[in-house]
Amino acid sequence: MTLRWNLTCLLLILPIVFFNPFAQPARASGDPLPDTPFEQIREQARGTRVNWYMYGGWAHVNAWVDTFVAKEMKQRYDIDLKRVPMDAGVFVNKLLNEKAAEKKTGTIDLLWINGENFKNAKQAGLLFGPFAGRLPNVQQYVDPGSISHDFGFPVEGYEAPFGRAQFVFEYDTARTGTPPDTVAALKEWIMAHPGQFTYPQPPDFTGSAFVRHILYAVSGGHDPYMDGWDPDLYEKNAPLLWDWLNQIKPFLWQKGRTYPRDSAFLDTLFARGEVALGMSYHPPHAQNMIIEGSYPDTVRTFALKDGSIFNTHFTAIPFNAPNKAGAMVLADFLVSVDAQISKFQPENWGDFPVLDMNRLTLSDRQRFEAVDLGPATLTPEQLAKTAVPEIPAPYLEALEQDWKTHVLDR
Amino acid sequence: MKRSHPAAHILFLVLLFSLFALPAGILVLVGLAPGWRFPDLWPERFSFAGIEFLITHRDRIAVSLASSFLYSLATVFVTLCMCLTPAAAFARQRFPGKRLLEALVLTPALVPPMTFAMGLHMVFIKLSLADTAAGVVLILALFSYPYMFRALVAGFQTMGQGYRVCAGNLGAGNIAIFRQVELPLLVPAMIAGGSVVFLVAFSEYFLVFLMGGGNVPSFTGFLMPLLASSNRSLAAILTLIFLVLPILLFFLLDWCLMRSYRKKGMI
Amino acid sequence: MSWTGNRTAILLLKLSPLMLPFLVLFCGGVFLTVCQSLGLFTPLPHTGGLVDAYAVILSDPSFFASAGFSFGVALASAAGSVAAATFLAYRVWQLPKKMAGAALVYKIPLILPHIAVAFVVLVFWSRSGILASLAHALGLIQSMQEFPNVLYSGWGVGMILAYTLKGTPFAMLLILALLVRFDVRQIQTAAMLGASKPRIFFAIVLPRLAPALHTSFIILFLYSFGAFDIPYILSESRPGMLSLHVFDLYFKHDLARRPEAMAILTLMFGFAVLFIIAYSRTVTRLENGVRKL
Repeated sequence: MTLRWNLTCLLLILPIVFFNPFAQPARASGDPLPDTPFEQIREQARGTRVNWYMYGGWAHVNAWVDTFVAKEMKQRYDIDLKRVPMDAGVFVNKLLNEKAAEKKTGTIDLLWINGENFKNAKQAGLLFGPFAGRLPNVQQYVDPGSISHDFGFPVEGYEAPFGRAQFVFEYDTARTGTPPDTVAALKEWIMAHPGQFTYPQPPDFTGSAFVRHILYAVSGGHDPYMDGWDPDLYEKNAPLLWDWLNQIKPFLWQKGRTYPRDSAFLDTLFARGEVALGMSYHPPHAQNMIIEGSYPDTVRTFALKDGSIFNTHFTAIPFNAPNKAGAMVLADFLVSVDAQISKFQPENWGDFPVLDMNRLTLSDRQRFEAVDLGPATLTPEQLAKTAVPEIPAPYLEALEQDWKTHVLDR
Repeated sequence: MKRSHPAAHILFLVLLFSLFALPAGILVLVGLAPGWRFPDLWPERFSFAGIEFLITHRDRIAVSLASSFLYSLATVFVTLCMCLTPAAAFARQRFPGKRLLEALVLTPALVPPMTFAMGLHMVFIKLSLADTAAGVVLILALFSYPYMFRALVAGFQTMGQGYRVCAGNLGAGNIAIFRQVELPLLVPAMIAGGSVVFLVAFSEYFLVFLMGGGNVPSFTGFLMPLLASSNRSLAAILTLIFLVLPILLFFLLDWCLMRSYRKKGMI
Repeated sequence: MSWTGNRTAILLLKLSPLMLPFLVLFCGGVFLTVCQSLGLFTPLPHTGGLVDAYAVILSDPSFFASAGFSFGVALASAAGSVAAATFLAYRVWQLPKKMAGAALVYKIPLILPHIAVAFVVLVFWSRSGILASLAHALGLIQSMQEFPNVLYSGWGVGMILAYTLKGTPFAMLLILALLVRFDVRQIQTAAMLGASKPRIFFAIVLPRLAPALHTSFIILFLYSFGAFDIPYILSESRPGMLSLHVFDLYFKHDLARRPEAMAILTLMFGFAVLFIIAYSRTVTRLENGVRKL
């Protein structure tokens, strides 16, 4: 009798307890109007919660957001930060679904986004803005020219800068001697070491970037593409790319019949010694893995002389964000000197800052210079020598679609 | 019948252990040794990095675990409510089309859940059920209720009509019969069906991901990105938690039941 | 008249907690999937004919490759699970009482979620995994590359292993439930009459286990055919499992391709239903045949 009574009571209380934790706490009401001073936006956001949807595959980045960023947001602005792991393509799709269903209030406040995902989101009207120009830290410390375009697509203030990345390759000095230094040398190296190389399957972010590298190299550089989408140019140069990829295919891991699903899988293959070269769009990635214990500490990075692609990554606010004020405060904090320095530390992340060094005070500049990136990471100065800009987004989408037809299914 | 040699039994037990228990044991090792790689048969170095991660993130892990636990429990409750009266009807009454209906009713557990969940997704968004725990519970209940249904039908059939008729003869009303006679007798069947539904809901990744949209925390959602990453020790430790928790729960449930049966003098 | 009407009404009322969600949510969900595959109720207005999505899907050879691959993986894992489970359950049933408790370890994979079982297969069977280390220690291989390519061979072996590891205990559960009620005296009589052990198994025990075998086969086959969790971790690029293809089309490509994803799902649903019907009919016919003999 008692047990049954207890059970019944428990079951009845359960729904009440259950549906409550997921009820949203206090939300800042209404959109921040264009001429609201930022101090007022900060006031509006006080005591609210911000949901930040971002890629969740990097444990150290997750840790940095959950500890440093969350703590600072709470202490400085009394904002509860909730990080939600989700791939960019997936949350853009989610927003598209919500827009089509006319859902005025969604669940995402801030997004970590760039490239073709940003373009798709902006073109579909999924983003709130322009807001980036209203953030005090952006006005003070960021060079507007460096954030005017994202993969060749005009930003127009719909996303705020977050960090900078550049494509690098990784190798284990204990296993591999001198790595190749150009794309042509890479091809010879792959053919001389069958089964030791592979790249993540496009449309994975890293694999797609690798393909773009090869495109730049086989078609003589990045300049022709910077003017925008030119179908004739694409038709002329893409076959050169497919030829290169198909020529190395039999010498790849698994003879090119299967590719790692995403960069995390490639990391595992490289960490466990099944392939000899890794790659990442983030220069500090190798050092992070060494600190985590997943890579041996003999791993180093290198960039190809032909050019290694760099990009800026951003944060953006969806059209139906329930807490736009809070999102703006968070986006602003992420561009602050303190946050950028903390992010630059390799034990936190090592991601390069987006601040214009010339606009910083001397002491702040020294703080950045004092950061020791660790032996495996190339410094921003070293990487700047081979930096080439990203390709306009339409090329990227065409490449991702056609890779399947011309390389995978061939 | 000639009895098999005890050595054959022991050999068989060794086979069983290496097939089913050894993976769990290896997971313990992987959990404690993030740098364990080929060709070491035994890890070179042990480290507590995985356990440290567990402790620093205990809040997030606890929230995911609690959320999974709660929505799985809610799913059991919902499937119970869904299946009680229909199971009684199926077990006791004969009506035209019963066999066909029974086959139809069991289909949600057989067909790939993607086929109906993705169709429903748009509707759930419009009804604001997507991204909520209620939506997750609904979809989980929809695809796991056949197990509860089967268990309850079997339970009703085992119970038979005798007790009900007896109690009716003694003057009890329908509701009283249900509450005081049938429900207690049905507890083993409810637990059998409930355990399966709970496990199915607790281990489900895709449906929670689809309908929860990242807003409903789940332990499987927390675990999934780690499984593909190179941080294997973390993944191993969380998997072990996944293993240990239901076992603990079932022991707890068993103990509660034994206690209540003992109190009633049934044991 | 009103008496029977009353009874029907009460019956319907009793069935409603189940039938309402079943009709509205399950049948409704399938209906919506079919509609979206025809271009109705899609998030973006559909430009094109009703069956355009089907035309695109069915003219793509990689769709048939994926479908065949999914079928093969499902068949191999379901058949493997049921076969292994029969053997294991029979031996577990024969264990002396003292050892029977230890045999409960077979339930471990039941408790683990599918993604965890996929992880276990990854840890054990990858080229840099535990079994490779074991082979190296035994002197069978000298380097990682010599270890057979289990997980990415193109045959879906990784997924088959994971599904089998998860499915065998499930089938064992169902089979043991029947074995427990088995009358041991039948076996003893047969042994006394001189039947050999294999003959006892195949002629007496196996036919009685048939219901559990068929039920678990159908459930495991259909699950492996359409599930998402395990292929997400272990699948290969080409051919891939159908469920992953649907996931990609639904989440990673633009919304205009939604009807294609729904078309694949409709075809999968149709296949599942046809399979259930065909399998049940065949089984009944076979069993009737046996009884007549």
